[in-house]
Amino acid sequence: MFKKKSDAKNKKALHLSFSLMIFLTMIVSFGLLSGQTPRSETRMASPVKKVTSHKVRKMVAPATTAPDKTQQKNQAKKPSENKPQSNAQPKLAINQQILKENKFLEEEYTLAKNPQYYFVINLKDKKTELRARGMVLKSWIARQIKYAGKPVPLKVTALVQKSALNPPKRKLIKPGESEVMPTPAPSEKDEKGKTKSKKSAPSSASPDSDEFQLEALEITDMPTTYELILDNGLKISVRSKTSGKQKLHQAAESFLWYVWLPVKNFLINRKNPETRMIIYFDNPREAQGLYWAFIDGIKGIIWLP
Amino acid sequence: MKFWKVLLAFFSLIYISIIFIFALAWINNLKLANEWKTIYNFKPDSQAKITPEAQNVLWKQKIQALQPKGVYIMVDSAENKYYLKKDGETIREGLVSTGSGVILVDPSGKRSWVFDTPKGEFFVKTKIQNPYWVKPDWAFIEDGEPIPKNPEDRVEGGVLGDYALGFGNGYFLHGTLYTRLLGRNVTHGCVRFADKDLEVIYKMAKIGTKIYIY
Repeated sequence: MFKKKSDAKNKKALHLSFSLMIFLTMIVSFGLLSGQTPRSETRMASPVKKVTSHKVRKMVAPATTAPDKTQQKNQAKKPSENKPQSNAQPKLAINQQILKENKFLEEEYTLAKNPQYYFVINLKDKKTELRARGMVLKSWIARQIKYAGKPVPLKVTALVQKSALNPPKRKLIKPGESEVMPTPAPSEKDEKGKTKSKKSAPSSASPDSDEFQLEALEITDMPTTYELILDNGLKISVRSKTSGKQKLHQAAESFLWYVWLPVKNFLINRKNPETRMIIYFDNPREAQGLYWAFIDGIKGIIWLP
Repeated sequence: MKFWKVLLAFFSLIYISIIFIFALAWINNLKLANEWKTIYNFKPDSQAKITPEAQNVLWKQKIQALQPKGVYIMVDSAENKYYLKKDGETIREGLVSTGSGVILVDPSGKRSWVFDTPKGEFFVKTKIQNPYWVKPDWAFIEDGEPIPKNPEDRVEGGVLGDYALGFGNGYFLHGTLYTRLLGRNVTHGCVRFADKDLEVIYKMAKIGTKIYIY
């Protein structure tokens, strides 16, 4: 009887301590989270409040301008009169879409004016494009693009650094040890009996170019896994389907992405969350092509239409 | 028994706390992900005389006006391919050879050359038929030969094909004897074409025709 009583007491104490700790953890965690919310709210709300254009003002007015008491009453009494406001929402969304595109085009124009080529990463279409003068030179479609952390503004950014575990190394040729060239293919003129060149190819050359080892830096020498660091702090990891050996590495990276990065941004970098992006390609050659095209200092835009 | 219960309770609480923090971190993460969409909320220009829609069309026209008109050449140095385009449409494509990317250092150590094909926008500056190659210093250094004092000793004919189109700084689009190496990175920076491709390009391109190498 006595034992039963003490057990019940113990159970109660346990229950109490459990609920107290959960309650405390909730309070602490919500406290931590609340430090984050006002910033995101102001970001979301301020552009709507500051709307000044004639068209948009008309559409937003019922929602944003502080209504007087009679208006509030009317709105409360007649919910059917709120219909124009609900119609204004999609219109506003369309307008925002156009404004967003305008901003993108404005930024692109600054790049297209210059003779250098630039990149555009479209997060919605999972497309990375190399452009010059507004026309697409080359594009790569990724299997998946993941992004997390503080959003990057719709502004021109530049590549600061490319880093890879095995970066391509330029080969050094020694004077006098010129590379072995295959024999020149007979041209039409040669067939007619005319000599086309004074230069004779070395006899040791292999006639088959596929077997011919070049002392050159080619696309196949580029890494398939690497990091691109942009001047706005964004770190883009480029990955491609790899062999079984690297599966462990991928699993570790997934853990970091799904577990460590959110926790890090929540507990450590709350004021300035780390921005990360991962681009996955199916074909390693696409990742290599991107590495080839993204020369140091290349400018570009990242945008989410 | 009591000790074990307390220990169990303690670890359970730690576990619950970790799970809870993970959950909140994830909520925070989703919130940040959502901000990627909302950060692009722009306010329209109050001083603009035209509507955002009209502005949109205007921007597109402005960008389109920058695009090359007529014939232009695109060279993909990664895939070693060229595209001859007219008003945005590909009218001919084929293999080329571009820069090998290797480094040559002068034995004296004072000079070095990187055999890269320059990337960017260029235009045809010169058009030459039956070109002769005036061998630069690196060509002799690479072969381990002494650099000739007589400029005539530098001239070599027949190695550049039937045509050459210069695009500045001694770089040319020209023909090659090594057609088997088309599609590979083997040159000292110039772009080598097959004879038939080069003939078409030579006939279609004019002085000022744009060349895009990427």
